[in-house]
Amino acid sequence: MSEDKELILLIEDEQQMRRFLRITLQSHGYRLIEASTAQEGLLQAASRNPDVVLLDLGLPDMDGLEVTSRLREWAQTPIIVISAREQEQDKVKALDAGADDYLTKPFSANELLARIRVALRHSIRGRSGRPEPIFVFDTLRVDLSQRQVFLNNNEVHLTPLEYKLLMVLIRHAGKVITHRQLLTEVWGPAHAKEVQYLRVYMTQLRHKLEADPARPRFLINEPGIGYRLKYDPDERTSIK
Amino acid sequence: MTEVEKKCIFAQTVDTAPDGRKDRSSASLKAQQAGESGWAWSIVTVSLCTGIAMLTYPAFELVDVAMIYLLGVVITASRTTKWPALLTAFLSVAAFDFFFVPPRFTFAVAQTRHIVTFAVMFFVTLATSRLTLRIRQQAEESQLKEQRTAALYDLSRELVRERDMDKLKAIAEQHIGKLFDSNVVVLLPDLHGRPMPPAREFPWSEQEREAAQYVFDNRQPAGSNALTGPDAVALYLPLIASAGTIGVVGLRQKSKRKLEPEQLRYLEAFINQTGIAIERALMAEESRRASVKAETEGLRNTLLSSISHDLRTPLTAVTGAVSTLLDADARLDRQGRRELLETIQEESDRLNRVIKNVLAMTRLESGILMLQKEWQSLEEIVGVVLNRLGERLNDHPVTLNLPASLPLIPFDGLLLEQVFMNLFENAIKYTPRGTPLELSASEQLFTVTVEFADKGPGIPPGQEERIFEKFVRGGTAGGGVGLGLAICRAIITAHGGRIWAENRPGGGALFRFTLSSAGVPPLPEREE
Repeated sequence: MSEDKELILLIEDEQQMRRFLRITLQSHGYRLIEASTAQEGLLQAASRNPDVVLLDLGLPDMDGLEVTSRLREWAQTPIIVISAREQEQDKVKALDAGADDYLTKPFSANELLARIRVALRHSIRGRSGRPEPIFVFDTLRVDLSQRQVFLNNNEVHLTPLEYKLLMVLIRHAGKVITHRQLLTEVWGPAHAKEVQYLRVYMTQLRHKLEADPARPRFLINEPGIGYRLKYDPDERTSIK
Repeated sequence: MTEVEKKCIFAQTVDTAPDGRKDRSSASLKAQQAGESGWAWSIVTVSLCTGIAMLTYPAFELVDVAMIYLLGVVITASRTTKWPALLTAFLSVAAFDFFFVPPRFTFAVAQTRHIVTFAVMFFVTLATSRLTLRIRQQAEESQLKEQRTAALYDLSRELVRERDMDKLKAIAEQHIGKLFDSNVVVLLPDLHGRPMPPAREFPWSEQEREAAQYVFDNRQPAGSNALTGPDAVALYLPLIASAGTIGVVGLRQKSKRKLEPEQLRYLEAFINQTGIAIERALMAEESRRASVKAETEGLRNTLLSSISHDLRTPLTAVTGAVSTLLDADARLDRQGRRELLETIQEESDRLNRVIKNVLAMTRLESGILMLQKEWQSLEEIVGVVLNRLGERLNDHPVTLNLPASLPLIPFDGLLLEQVFMNLFENAIKYTPRGTPLELSASEQLFTVTVEFADKGPGIPPGQEERIFEKFVRGGTAGGGVGLGLAICRAIITAHGGRIWAENRPGGGALFRFTLSSAGVPPLPEREE
């Protein structure tokens, strides 16, 4: 693998988890720095300037929320939090505090790699600042410059709010977006808790854009957390 | 009996005083006051008798006149107490002598036989007055006794009906307080045998606490009105039950009057009733705790044996596969290696599912779990479950019938997901490959009913309820702790719904559950 492959900082206290992640990530060519405590992780993040941070939420010396906030004080490095299923609230808090995505234990190597790819893609795009004019996912095509949505090459009419919601999802394509973030961006901060707005509008979007709304292929619900527009830069989907 | 009347039994007189005004004094006061007006009674009665006799004499004989006086004595005795009655007797004899016995209008007596008449008359009047008095007292006492018994019965009847300790205390405090016109508290000891300070308003100080402690330790009354123990503002009596002193009753009278010994006896009777009731409640609570403990321990044992089996089986497969891969790497062909790796993956997934269910059950049962209710869309949650199950559903075609008109329902999304997950996983585990699954929902009267049907072997008859119990497995197939449906029930119940199972007429099992869809979420304004 190439020498200039991205640098990943892994903050995880479990030795076996570090071993599994080290082997997986290194076998895919990523360079890796490891930290077993939050303090050490923050130091490494400052001195080595990694491209992605993998952060375990169950660290012994500091809670994940605080690590996220501290990192976000000075760095825009994508953060992917790793947590157990029972920590839904912690996950949401970390995401709202600036984490980019999450993984629930146990997870497969494929899920991990897909999340890393998405995070890296977003950080590159964020740095270049170049807008992406056309988004394509399988049979769905969105022309952002013309504000047009096509399904199987037929134009689909969306209401202004449906379109706005879809835009936010596309802007964060592949990443999870919390309910609060979505509501704030589409309806404004005053409606940040009206999750039912999202239920109604996501259902409408699915009925318009998904072949089988009960088996969605890209407008994915993440219970207790938010929504995700399923998208993997290395798979068939692409932003042209 | 009205409440006011009840109050009268102990705190006030039962009767109306002779002068007609309602007397609000205690029993002893009553005697005293009846005595004061009694003197007047005896004088008035004797004067009246003299007047009547004057009118009839000499038409009547002396014997008849004596009878008139006798009548006066009986009347006085029936209205007053001992001493006025005695005075009446004395005055009657004197008046009889003065006004009628010759020589009239002097106390002189002409014939000796009249002395005998006086003596007989005096003793007869005395005896009559005493008898009358006693009869009257007995009548009053029995009336009072009857009323007190009724009050005691009222108390015990109310105590018997109640099981809650705080309510029992409140009933006793209220009844005794009313009957003895006092502020009453029942004080139970804490773990160190110290009577706990009153929970309701009651004058409390170090002095009161010491008196209560003395009563609890020595089984003797203390405080005001008591002959034993330290003094205090209120009176403290031991709450005695078969097991010994179980608490203290504090009683603070609203008036400064001393309690009569008889009142104290009745107070004791009331306190004994309270003691019995409270002891019963304590014992019930203790036995409930013991049975919960036994049940918890039993559950824990079942859980442990069940879990250790269900965790070990996949773990054994994983360990075995891994050790084969490590040791005999060279001898394995590609196919063999792949199979072992697939085994590891499948068994790890299974382990994860077992752990997830055990954790969910533990959290649901321990009450740690807080419901995070949000407005949820059934279609969305079902979508998550179908996506998550992915390839495992390949052998079971799923038909969905979720009308677009279904409302949003207030529910904890993660828990609802788990309900669907467990239902689908059960179906995958227990129904043959290729058999279809159907999921449908409908709304009626603010209740959404979800139906999940399969075409498998169905539920053994009579087991429709049992399968929702913990550690009951549907069959020998598959693994699993037998928690899936128990978790479904716990979750649905926690949301105020119901879940049950039945067999379909054409074969297969049907699971139904209800969710309340009452209430309307604030929705954004419709566009266009």
